[in-house]
Amino acid sequence: MTRFVITLLVWTLISPGNGSWGGGTSWPTHTACRKEGLEVLYQSCDPLQDFGFSVDQCAKHLKPNLNIRVGIILREDIRELYLDIVLISKGASVFNYSYPICEVDLPKFSFCGRKKGEQLYYAGPMNNPGFEIYEGKYQVLLELYNEKRTTLACANATVICS
Amino acid sequence: MAPAVSCCFLALLLSASCEVVTSTEQMCIEKEAKTIYNCENLGLSEIPDTLPNTTEFLEFSFNFLPTVQDTTFSQLLNLTFLDLTRCQINWIHENAFQSHPQLSTLVLTGNPLIFVAETALNGPRSLKHLFLIQTGISSLEFIPAHNLKNLESLHLGGNYISSIKFPKDFPTGNLKVLDFQNNAIHYLSREDMDSLRPATNLSLNFNGNDIRGIEPGTFKSTVFQSLNFGGTVNLSVIFRGLHNSTIQSLWLGTYQDAEDQELSPIMFEGLCEMSVESMNLQNHYFSNLSLTTFQCFTHLQELDLTATHLHELPPGIKGMNLLKKLVLNVNSFDQLCQINAASFPSLTHLYIKGNRHKLQLGVGCLEKLENLQTLDLSHNNIEASDCCNLQLKNLPHLKSLNLSYNEPLSLQNEAFKACPQLELLDLARTSLAVKATQSPFQNLHFLQVLNLSYCSLDTSNQHLLAGLPNLRHLNLQGNRFKDGNIPKTSPFQMVSTLEILVLSSCDLSSIDQEAFHSLGNVSHIDLSHNSLTSSSISALSWFKGTYLNLATNSIRIIPAHLLPILSQQKIIRLSHNPLDCTCSNIHFLTWYKENVQKLKDFEEIRCANPPSLQGVQLSDVTLSCGMTAAGIFFLTVFLFLSAALLIYTVKFFLRWKYQHL
Repeated sequence: MTRFVITLLVWTLISPGNGSWGGGTSWPTHTACRKEGLEVLYQSCDPLQDFGFSVDQCAKHLKPNLNIRVGIILREDIRELYLDIVLISKGASVFNYSYPICEVDLPKFSFCGRKKGEQLYYAGPMNNPGFEIYEGKYQVLLELYNEKRTTLACANATVICS
Repeated sequence: MAPAVSCCFLALLLSASCEVVTSTEQMCIEKEAKTIYNCENLGLSEIPDTLPNTTEFLEFSFNFLPTVQDTTFSQLLNLTFLDLTRCQINWIHENAFQSHPQLSTLVLTGNPLIFVAETALNGPRSLKHLFLIQTGISSLEFIPAHNLKNLESLHLGGNYISSIKFPKDFPTGNLKVLDFQNNAIHYLSREDMDSLRPATNLSLNFNGNDIRGIEPGTFKSTVFQSLNFGGTVNLSVIFRGLHNSTIQSLWLGTYQDAEDQELSPIMFEGLCEMSVESMNLQNHYFSNLSLTTFQCFTHLQELDLTATHLHELPPGIKGMNLLKKLVLNVNSFDQLCQINAASFPSLTHLYIKGNRHKLQLGVGCLEKLENLQTLDLSHNNIEASDCCNLQLKNLPHLKSLNLSYNEPLSLQNEAFKACPQLELLDLARTSLAVKATQSPFQNLHFLQVLNLSYCSLDTSNQHLLAGLPNLRHLNLQGNRFKDGNIPKTSPFQMVSTLEILVLSSCDLSSIDQEAFHSLGNVSHIDLSHNSLTSSSISALSWFKGTYLNLATNSIRIIPAHLLPILSQQKIIRLSHNPLDCTCSNIHFLTWYKENVQKLKDFEEIRCANPPSLQGVQLSDVTLSCGMTAAGIFFLTVFLFLSAALLIYTVKFFLRWKYQHL
């Protein structure tokens, strides 16, 4: 009987915690691409929401100007939008980069200037340079934020090249 | 059985109480007492009772309100701003805002609206801004027009609208901003525009609509504040359609992800038949860039050619005499002379930043721009061994010069003699080589703002800042001082007129007591992100009523004799210091409690010591400290005296008692 009571007590104490979003839950890991020895996995690190992302090509010899698809709900205006990339290999940060995507005097992409609450779907070029990916496993942290330094999207990506 | 039932009951009770706890955790944030509240992302399905009825500004986005009716906001009668972005609203019923006479802004972005009742927007006396972005609207008839006569901005982006024709009774007279971004508008007719005739000085946005045709005369004799046709492929359609119109600002840029079509001189012919003050053509390609390309640009005052893949502007462009502002950012010039500046004699503002190639300044490339007031040459990889008199030859009226984010520049004495009227000079993140005892900024009599952050300066040069009699704002962030110490004689002693001084991230560990003695006018000093201890505070005794930033330093204990120096300042930042919360810092801790109103971001002022209080906010610390030596002395004397008095009293009492026996 006591065991039953304890089980019930434990259940009642734990169950509301499971229901609340943002607390301990994390978003599922998605596959952005998997082909020809290259695998790119990502997970949203924004506690508020997940987002969708895929790359049309997946190869060790990364081609310039890849086409990507992104689907996300904007939680802030994106008159200004910046991307921070941190590349981690074997636990050490090897590459840090910040890139403006939308600026007031240069909105590079057609989605610049969209408003908070809009659902954004972008399918188009990324305007990246081409480069070679060496064998290994890399962690990539990506963050999109606006002029108020509010996060629009955050991703923990894993790139496995074999 | 009975115990099991009671257990279940107990469990239910417990789970219910747990839920109450979690929901009280998710409270609206009060941003300004009684008036501004943020309830975003809380998954609320009604307005919380905790919001006071004085609430004026309510951010309620990302909640759950499938139906909005007259009772939904009935307790908040003073609302002026209501953001209901993405609240999954399907229905807005009759008189939903009947009791909100003050409401002026209503945001309904991202709601899957099925129906908005005819009287849904009745009530507000002066509804000025209405956001209906991505609400699935396909016809303008969907918007109840009854109470919109005061509307100043209407945002209809991201819908399925294909015609801008408003219903007959729609009041457009006060509209200033009408935003149709990312809809399906392909054709504009005269009839469409007729419904907008009552509006004056309208800003109309068609960005992201593929406009394929405009009926001739549609925009005839109409005056616009701004027109945006961003991303439109065929510009000749636009120019022909805008025949005979007057437009202050015309935005015709395109994007990296948009279809490319080269701009040919014929496309711009329509520009001769209209009046445009300012035009933007960002991201386009010009085919056969020649003099004929610009023959209809003669009346322009501002031209933005950002990222238009230019290698040069052809020499001899005629008729651009009126051009005041030219933006050539993110192009591919090799030399500044390739812009052939002589074609734009009236230019007052010139922006060439973020050039894709390393930009050579050349000699006197801008010398024909006698009226130039603002010049931006930042982010260009400019490198110069003897800057900047030959490069900036004959710019007598230049007031603002931006050379930040470039490669190393070597500056001699009087390096900016060519532009003596300079008021603002920005050299941030550009390494400056200045020989010892030289004064590169000499004779800049009007210079007020000088940004030298991260310039790798030699701060031991006493003459570095000589000859700046009007300098008010000096930024020396990220420059180093010898041994991390600002000595008694430092370069900024030459600039006694300073009002704002930034010395953050300078790796400072000490400041001489006399270092700032000539800076009597300073009203703002930033010493954050250094390794300063409280011993440097005495150097601040020269300042009174200043904004003082000491955040992110190494201040532990502030002794009593330094507290008056802090007391005489207006605002102090002390966050992120390893402050001591033991009794050895009791004077400061007491002072802190009495001066909380002076301290900014006090929630980030935390204890580092003792370990038990590590990370605790100073405002939460109450210390009861042991007695001091003097206290112990007086206490001993007091106890001794009381004992003596007691003995004497007992003795007196006994004697009195036995005498009466």
